[in-house]
Amino acid sequence: MHISPKRELKRSSLGRVGIVLIVLVLILAIFAPLLVRYEPSGQTASAFESPSLEHWLGTNHVGQDIWSQLAYGARTSLLVGFSVAVFSVLLSALIGASAALVGDRYDRIVMRIVDALIVIPVVIVLVLLAAYIKPGIGYIIVILSLLGWQFGARVVRAQTLVLKEEMHVAAAKSFGASNFYLIFRHIIPDLGPILLVQFVYAARRAIFMEAGLAFLGIADPSIISWGMMMHDALGFCYLDVWRWCLIPPGVALSLTVLSITFIGHAFEPVLDPRLRGEAGA
Amino acid sequence: MLRIEGLNVSYDSERILNGIDLEVKAGETLAIIGESGAGKTTLGLSIMGLLNGNARGRIAFDGVDLLSLSKDEMRELRWNRIAMVFQNDEDVLNPVHTVLGQVLEPMVEHRLKNKEEAEQRASQLLSEAGLSSDKFYAYPYQLSGGEQQRALVAMAWANEPELIILDEPLSSLDAVSRLEMMELLKRMGRGRTILVVTHDITAAANLATSIATMYGGRIVERGATPAVLYNPRHPYTRALLRSYPGMATGKDLQGIKGRMTRGVSGCPFHPRCTQAIEICRREVPLLVKYRERLIACHRGGIIPALSVKGMSKSFGSVKAVDNVSLVIDGGGTLALVGQSGSGKTTLAKAITGIIKADAGDVYLEGEKVSRRGKDFYRRVQMIFQKPGEALSHRLSVLEAVKEPLDIQGIETEAKRINRVKKVLEEVELSTSADFLEEYPHHLSGGELQRVTIARALVLDPQVLIADEPTSFLDSSVQAKILKLLLNLQEQRGLSMLFITHDIAVARKISDRMAVMLGGKIIEEGQSSGILASPAHPYTQSLLKAAQGNSQLG
Amino acid sequence: MINKRNMATYGIALVFILALNFLLPRMMPGDPLMAIYGEDALIQMTPELKAHLVERFALDEPIWSQLGAYFWGLLRGDLGHSYYYNAPVSEVILGRLPWTCLLVGSSLVLSTVLGVVLGIESGWRRGRKLDKSLLTGLMALGGFPDFFLGIVLLLVFGVTLGLLPLAGALTPYAELSGLALSLDILKHLLLPLASLTLCHIGGSYLLTRNTMITVMQEPYILTARAKGLSDSQIRYHHAGRNSMLPVFTRTGMWLGRLVTGALFVEMVFAYPGLGYLTYEALLARDYPVLQGVLLMVAVFVLVANLLVDLTYPKLDPRASYAH
Repeated sequence: MHISPKRELKRSSLGRVGIVLIVLVLILAIFAPLLVRYEPSGQTASAFESPSLEHWLGTNHVGQDIWSQLAYGARTSLLVGFSVAVFSVLLSALIGASAALVGDRYDRIVMRIVDALIVIPVVIVLVLLAAYIKPGIGYIIVILSLLGWQFGARVVRAQTLVLKEEMHVAAAKSFGASNFYLIFRHIIPDLGPILLVQFVYAARRAIFMEAGLAFLGIADPSIISWGMMMHDALGFCYLDVWRWCLIPPGVALSLTVLSITFIGHAFEPVLDPRLRGEAGA
Repeated sequence: MLRIEGLNVSYDSERILNGIDLEVKAGETLAIIGESGAGKTTLGLSIMGLLNGNARGRIAFDGVDLLSLSKDEMRELRWNRIAMVFQNDEDVLNPVHTVLGQVLEPMVEHRLKNKEEAEQRASQLLSEAGLSSDKFYAYPYQLSGGEQQRALVAMAWANEPELIILDEPLSSLDAVSRLEMMELLKRMGRGRTILVVTHDITAAANLATSIATMYGGRIVERGATPAVLYNPRHPYTRALLRSYPGMATGKDLQGIKGRMTRGVSGCPFHPRCTQAIEICRREVPLLVKYRERLIACHRGGIIPALSVKGMSKSFGSVKAVDNVSLVIDGGGTLALVGQSGSGKTTLAKAITGIIKADAGDVYLEGEKVSRRGKDFYRRVQMIFQKPGEALSHRLSVLEAVKEPLDIQGIETEAKRINRVKKVLEEVELSTSADFLEEYPHHLSGGELQRVTIARALVLDPQVLIADEPTSFLDSSVQAKILKLLLNLQEQRGLSMLFITHDIAVARKISDRMAVMLGGKIIEEGQSSGILASPAHPYTQSLLKAAQGNSQLG
Repeated sequence: MINKRNMATYGIALVFILALNFLLPRMMPGDPLMAIYGEDALIQMTPELKAHLVERFALDEPIWSQLGAYFWGLLRGDLGHSYYYNAPVSEVILGRLPWTCLLVGSSLVLSTVLGVVLGIESGWRRGRKLDKSLLTGLMALGGFPDFFLGIVLLLVFGVTLGLLPLAGALTPYAELSGLALSLDILKHLLLPLASLTLCHIGGSYLLTRNTMITVMQEPYILTARAKGLSDSQIRYHHAGRNSMLPVFTRTGMWLGRLVTGALFVEMVFAYPGLGYLTYEALLARDYPVLQGVLLMVAVFVLVANLLVDLTYPKLDPRASYAH
């Protein structure tokens, strides 16, 4: 694997924009307690106060500080995005690589399941599940991970099939290495760049879906989330409170998803080197 | 019809083509041969105006400079006047369109014909190209490589172009389809001007009326097909032919030393050329006329390393050598074939000055040798028939091989020993202290001959005269020694006069052959030519005897 | 010709959905009737209705009989009864289906056609100004969650400018007909359609563009150029034709995403399709409706995939051969 994701990122100006944006969101999430004056869930003023020095972004329908909620909402988004990405990439790697290495019947069955999961509209399933379970943040992470590995598994499997043919893997096999050994010592290290790309995609999907579920109002209402902020504000569209209640979380969510999209695009040549040489884009 | 002048092409500051001058006359078929990476395909693409790189110079087609044409003018010209048959790799044909659709497309798109007429003509072309009619509406993946190639040919002929460029038209075909394709191209190419780009010398030999050899983005030799193939004059052309497995040549395959590098100053071939001199490193040779052909070489092509003119030697009333003239090409092998007593050894001894000739002169690289001093022997060395006798039994291996250096007084003792070790490695002998101290009677026949070869090479001679060097060896050892000599020739560019009574051995090792009978050269020429059609009855009988032997074996 | 592999995929997908629908309510702790119908509904039910429902779903019998009853119901097109709407679920869904079909269908056509055309043009001009601006712009649009884009469009064109209606699919009680009705429908459709399409155009665009870039490096493009064909012939007949293939094979997947997107967009615009129905059902905890929608959508997407499989060999002659 002579294509380095780091170099691809450096070559792409969109990728650099993405990195800057995601770092900003990260700072917001990590230093949230230092950046805000009020408890995000505390009722600190009357409802729908417009932005002022006291409340930078005003307050919402129950008088909570929007800026505080925005900062803590970043935590939720990034936590869900990161954890789901880690879990689903692990699942993708294990399932995809083992399908390619074991082959035969196991491969066929696993790939049929993967294809089936790709065909099914996952969000609808999520909505149904969420409606029954009313999930907290842990549940959301688990469900999103379980329903998010199939895309990566397909890519990992294809790449493993290529790697399998390479000499050093064949050599290790000829020394009697087990499939387990092959996956961890030879395949996964070589899959690194591809897993990274899958990580980015998975994080994007997860952040998007968490916000979506909250927006539909089916997540645990105690979680502070950008989606929930928008859900709350949407009901008051006819007032001009949307300027500070609705737009900030929407913009924050969009910028976060956008930054990840840009980073993912910068990584695309890792999956298909023929896409390289995108001078400025 | 096509006249290219000073064409330079570069991709990303890397020069691919350098000052190409080339003319193709109407009705002529010119083959461009060379290794991959020589720039052959780039040349074809630059004529089509399909380069992504930067082209400078002039490509005059019917007097119009193609490089000066606008995009639209060039598009109008493509396929209508110049068409190309691409190398049939994967997907040269669009996988989602039928073969017939792709053949008729250029006619319809260039508004030469309406859809029906075009379809009719396309079908006609496809059957002319030998595709069966049930395959006309097939998709490319449904066709074999040979059938796809036929479709590509039909497509190229669609708009009746005046010039057709064929890029490796026979690669990716099996032997039988190759033959059919060759016939097809000959038939359909009649009356058209064709440029064949290929590394396949058989294809060039069969299709082309003349051949141009390309190396490192330059044309290095250009001439009529038989002349270039049977008597290559540029060192690269000869090397290319030597490394090509043809049925006609008997000589073992030889590679070319080193590998092609780009951005070389001076002559592009000089790092691999065995006769390169100072100027080759500095200046680019021009493509100039040399008898009936064009050659780009500072030394005028392959140099005559050693030539003999009118040499005679009599012992009493017996004319052992009778007015013999010979030329040994630089980096080539001349086999001197004849029965014992025909005067071969006498000739060799006379050339090296071991015995004095009655008449005649010897020339080294064209210069007459008036006196054979140390200088001469540094450049010409000899290997003798009986290695056991040629080595003094009192000298160890080290002493024997070092002897010429001692005699010539070259360098210090330590350096001499180093040179001895190096040359012993070259002839694949051990350099251990034990072996260096070994005396001749402890060595096998093969080892002895290697020692004599090492001794001959230690002075870095240009010409090696080998007198029956293998006749006293087992055939298995003989094979190894012959291979060693071929390798040494490939690496050092040795010029050899190889004397043998065995025409089968001569066939394996020589580029040219001279047959000697009764002190006279009765036949001389390219080995493959002599072996294929010997002119002299004596040569015929030699050949017959050898063939009889092979049937016995 | 349908290949066995894909049929297995759809089979597994269908079984997965059915299993989810069947097991989820029955795995919930407590009264299965409550899990199926929700708390609110249960309180209002008469004992007779309860008994009827228990019998209908065989809820007092072992799980295999329940499964049999469940399938028997499905085969008769019985998706259950919506207590909230007081109507059979199938009726409720069928009433909403046309609006979703209109929205999702037109968005699918629009985003695919636009995406493919823009992708071809963009890939052809790779690295040039148009390509770069399209790439950045469409990727940025794709980064917006569809509901937020919908909200922004709603706020700009509906609330602030007042150009277009804020909600619904028709002007209520207007009793329009003919051309006026079509215009009214179109006006209501415009904003949801725009948000959905803008968000999803990026997918088909990027895929087409990337394929175009790799296709442009194929030897047959050089052949086409050598033949002196016009740029547009090369771009569409040769390169484009090959570049749209992967987009087409993923139509089924796009459809799934569009339906998902429609869920949010319909909610923002109160557009009376399946998405809005889902939202209403969520608020009312009308589980039978939720389950019915899930099944309906899943079957829809599966059928779409099947149709793609059936037509694909017509687009790519290699397909009928390669498998």
